Amino acid sequence: MAQSGKGKLNFRCPSCFMRDLDIDMFYDKDKKEYYCIRCQYTGTEKDVLAKNEIVRFRYRDMMRRFTDFEDFSEG
Amino acid sequence: MDQFIVNIIHRPEMVPEYAEKITGQGKAEDIGRKALLTESLDIFKLQQECAHKNGLKTTIQMTYASLFNDEAVQLAKEHHHTYGDEISLTLLGLPCEQFREKYKTKDFCIWMFSMEDKKAIVRDVFGKFYERFGFYPESTGSYYMDAELINFIKEEYPMVKCAVATCWEEGPKAYHTCNNSWYTFMDGGPWAPWIPSKQNTHAPAANAEEDSGIVAIPHLSRDLMACYDGNGSNFGTHPQNVLRGMIYDTSTWEYPYLYNLIDQYRALAKYNNGYAYNMMFVGPGWMNKMGRWEAPYELLKKSYEDGCAYYGQLKKEGKLIDMTMSEFADYYREKKGYTEPECALWRDILYGSQKQLFWYCDPYMRVCVNMDQGGAIVDLRPYVAKLNWPVGIGTPHIQDASYPFLIQEKYRAGYFTHYAGEGTVRSAKVCHNGEEVDLCLCRTHARFSQNGKDRVLTLDPVDIEFSDVTVKLQTVITFTEGSSAIKIDRHILELSDPDAQVTINEYMVGCYGTTEYTEDMSSLTLSVEAGESRTQLSYEYKCREASAAGADRAWCKLPPINTLVSLTCEGRDKTGYVKEGYAFSPMFTLGYTGTLRDKEVFTTWLNLEKAN
Repeated sequence: MAQSGKGKLNFRCPSCFMRDLDIDMFYDKDKKEYYCIRCQYTGTEKDVLAKNEIVRFRYRDMMRRFTDFEDFSEG
Repeated sequence: MDQFIVNIIHRPEMVPEYAEKITGQGKAEDIGRKALLTESLDIFKLQQECAHKNGLKTTIQMTYASLFNDEAVQLAKEHHHTYGDEISLTLLGLPCEQFREKYKTKDFCIWMFSMEDKKAIVRDVFGKFYERFGFYPESTGSYYMDAELINFIKEEYPMVKCAVATCWEEGPKAYHTCNNSWYTFMDGGPWAPWIPSKQNTHAPAANAEEDSGIVAIPHLSRDLMACYDGNGSNFGTHPQNVLRGMIYDTSTWEYPYLYNLIDQYRALAKYNNGYAYNMMFVGPGWMNKMGRWEAPYELLKKSYEDGCAYYGQLKKEGKLIDMTMSEFADYYREKKGYTEPECALWRDILYGSQKQLFWYCDPYMRVCVNMDQGGAIVDLRPYVAKLNWPVGIGTPHIQDASYPFLIQEKYRAGYFTHYAGEGTVRSAKVCHNGEEVDLCLCRTHARFSQNGKDRVLTLDPVDIEFSDVTVKLQTVITFTEGSSAIKIDRHILELSDPDAQVTINEYMVGCYGTTEYTEDMSSLTLSVEAGESRTQLSYEYKCREASAAGADRAWCKLPPINTLVSLTCEGRDKTGYVKEGYAFSPMFTLGYTGTLRDKEVFTTWLNLEKAN
């Protein structure tokens, strides 16, 4: 088994990102998967991207444009 | 008319901190690689182009490495001539072959060097700058500039009038986010420009005698809620930070949050006599051709172009003034007095929570009030002590440049603890017939007003429901400029039973420190005073309490941070008290109890003094 390296981008571990940890993952070309050296997450690029969508759950106003910063009436 | 000022700063960092690690993955370290140097300069050129094509002038902060590069020097001269950019000098970007050879170290954060090395490096870097440009810079900076460093620079190079001097709430949270590998501990500073005192950079000068002689600006303008709670490097006026936080739509590459952040900063003019400020400072490593985090280069580039375009649009609309750092220093000196506070009523613009904080900063304190916890004070830094806190090798605080807190709800718990002990917070409990409600559980919002020297935070009234009576209570918090005190009024606006009476327990749970972990409390002294009577407790973790009816003052003296904090009170049946903590709850408590009837007010002051 050859050594791991970085993938085409330095994808972070989505599981660690959710606990405010930025950990670059490494790519295992034999298994065609990214893996985290801090936690137990492993996943394909597709899975990483899907999980990165999930981590955005907390940004409920991510796409909202604010015009008034003292108005709480809009909910 | 309100004025919104922006400083856009670029640095030709020939060996960006991040780029070497990323572009060099799988290769042995070589900070002289030609590809790295060429790419870094290309990114700098691109950043300059982004600003200039949007009609924005920049401050070019030359790095030590770039002073050895003829092209970088020539570019700076040309852009100064053509666009009016300021040629400045940063103490970031020290790493390069020449630096490593000379100083025999891989350290790169100027505040962490020994004082002897700081002086040698400053003389070297400023000397090299003079050699290349024929003049000394008027502005400088780093992620953090300790007071001793600023004082030295000002003494040797009196023309320096502006510096990037801290990165707001970059501390233990950033350390943890970087898997405990990023040693920038500088919590507890101002979020907006200030005049640092000679004694401690984070603590603003109260007068000309304390004035360090420079205007400090923060490294980035950061989200005053998201950065307080989470990783600071995701939520600032740094477009790639927003990408790092994954705060964008992956299909459209849109990030309205960046514009909301800028706009909320613009809105702060309302609380600061018509002035607001932004700073954007992106190092070349963040626009790496290899991409960064999950973002490809094209997205990194787009986000920077969009950021500059938005500032450019605001300028065209007459809503923004772009300045260089030295221009801003002159503007700021003209605009602000020493004791004029910086205020920020800040709302959540990301998580959809409707939470609201109020930040207050003056030469005596930095305070955070949380409206989602009924106006509780959840962060308190006693600048009044002007704590002498040298940092760097050879000092007691090699890396830790944070200004110590008395209250910090994230590091030392706030209202909620895990079923034992207490957390740091300044709040009040309202009690009736054996029932008790802490105002921390009364979510509300606030309005800001200014009345002469008073900055007033008026909270929307909250209802407190007991089994047999409902209380409508309003909190008003007043910061009087130069007073070093926080006044809190609790007004009973309405009682469902007009003849009822409630008791109130105003309290502050405090400690001291700069991190999550407790410090030794043994040197603290607690006291409650009433007339000639004084009860005093030396902190021994014995869970003792003392109280006095009609107390004039309850206080705690904290020698490790040269601070004396006290509560004073005006109200019916007032009784002051102090509580010592114990090993599992290494805190202290100051408080007053009293009674309130319909339409009455109970007033307390939290006072901060420099001890001895």
